[in-house]
Amino acid sequence: MGALPLACLLALWHGIAAAGLAPAALLPSPAAVVARLLEQMRNPLFLQHAATTLIRLFAGFAIAVVVGVALGLAAASNRRAEALIRPLWRVLAPVPKIALYPALVLLLGFEHASKVALVVADAVFPILLATYQGAAAVEPKLIWCARAAGASRSRTLLTVVLPAALPTILTGARVGLVISAIVVFLAEMLTSTDGLGHLLIYASRSFHTVDMFVPLITISIIGLLLNAGFNAMRKRLLAGFPDEP
Amino acid sequence: MAMQASSPSAFAPLLACLGLLALWEIAARVIAISGLPPASEALRELPVILSDGETLLNIAASLRRMLTGFVLALLFALPVGLCMGRSARIAAFFNPLLMVIYPVPKAALMPIIMLWLGIGDASKTIVITLGVSLPVIYHSYQGARAVEEKLIWSAAAMGMSKAARLWRVVLPAALPQIFIGIRTGLVLALITMVTSEMIARQTGVGSILFNALDMAQYASVYAMIVIIGVLGFVLDIIIERLRCKLVAWAEEEREIAVGTS
Repeated sequence: MGALPLACLLALWHGIAAAGLAPAALLPSPAAVVARLLEQMRNPLFLQHAATTLIRLFAGFAIAVVVGVALGLAAASNRRAEALIRPLWRVLAPVPKIALYPALVLLLGFEHASKVALVVADAVFPILLATYQGAAAVEPKLIWCARAAGASRSRTLLTVVLPAALPTILTGARVGLVISAIVVFLAEMLTSTDGLGHLLIYASRSFHTVDMFVPLITISIIGLLLNAGFNAMRKRLLAGFPDEP
Repeated sequence: MAMQASSPSAFAPLLACLGLLALWEIAARVIAISGLPPASEALRELPVILSDGETLLNIAASLRRMLTGFVLALLFALPVGLCMGRSARIAAFFNPLLMVIYPVPKAALMPIIMLWLGIGDASKTIVITLGVSLPVIYHSYQGARAVEEKLIWSAAAMGMSKAARLWRVVLPAALPQIFIGIRTGLVLALITMVTSEMIARQTGVGSILFNALDMAQYASVYAMIVIIGVLGFVLDIIIERLRCKLVAWAEEEREIAVGTS
């Protein structure tokens, strides 16, 4: 049942391409795109571009997780930190981060650093927000118990608050992960000499329509796989936690 | 709750802005490279940019596209989301499709859509509509699913038709959730707007921004970033106000924004 709309979409695409309604230069047939995708999967140059994108993606995501969780925990556990962090995120969260990209390029150059920084800027907010909400919602009695049993403040934070907030944090991190995949691709489209996003722009400049679809589909598959992988990991980590509604 | 929080929270973001500007000023003076002009220099550029009629037209063009895309997305996404929430069959039909579309970078569709529709308003508006639709569908789906069944039964018992129930019972009840989707959608609309204009540089704030970068007018680059940032912040506040007016009865719901550019 659920596969129906997908199949319809593919059939429609195939139909338009096969009926010659659109020239192949504008809309290649799905078969041609899949064939090209499989061909590229064996092309070391293409894989190298994909690897570059993945390195940037994971570097940015890892930094965003560390920064987001640290700031979120700080804001939830310390009133002064909250007074500092809350207004900042209130101002910065609705700003379209991609507009910062020119500034990041000027500051950090055209290489990895500016793209990683943009990924961090975009992925950090959902993670920060999730950590803050999760940590603020931890049952206070748990914290009192730990404190009464003699655990220090920082220890309570690490051994009680952090695990209790984990389900929410992981939800935020999953959102951040998909955002990372998208943002790294957009950054590579805007200014880059390598990576999947660059391949798309390169193909569009030389009017190779098939090659435009391939990187786009690749990054979407990467996003889907990361999402699914993260969900599987989340289930393992959260074994024993009550199910979320 | 909201009333209590409003007085300090109005000042704090202002202070945060000033703090950021001060930090920027100091950092620029310490690092002293041409790629990072001091905040004062960029801010001096603001009146120059904003008094230029051409720039204002560009900003207006961007906003017009964003608004059109936004309204189109609402017209399309709200009914889909609400129907998905009230019918398990429709939900099962659309969910896999949405799951597959979710990780696609919408703004990256720009070069392909440009091939079909040219570099004008149509392609950009479509990309914005696509970007906004997903979070609105997702949140109106969640909102409609959580509507108290008894409300719908009562409405049905009083003889309300199915369509009327959707419009007069489900929609208002789901409104708090829908506003979360709209708020996320706004951020996405801004992102896709700027990105699409950076890719097809013709008019709009994104093209001014990147043209300034190419011409090495660094103060203008930063001034444009400030303008876009303020735009995002102001639109966010407007939606917040609207939400407070329309769904003042609801408890404030906070949820992590689900959605991407």
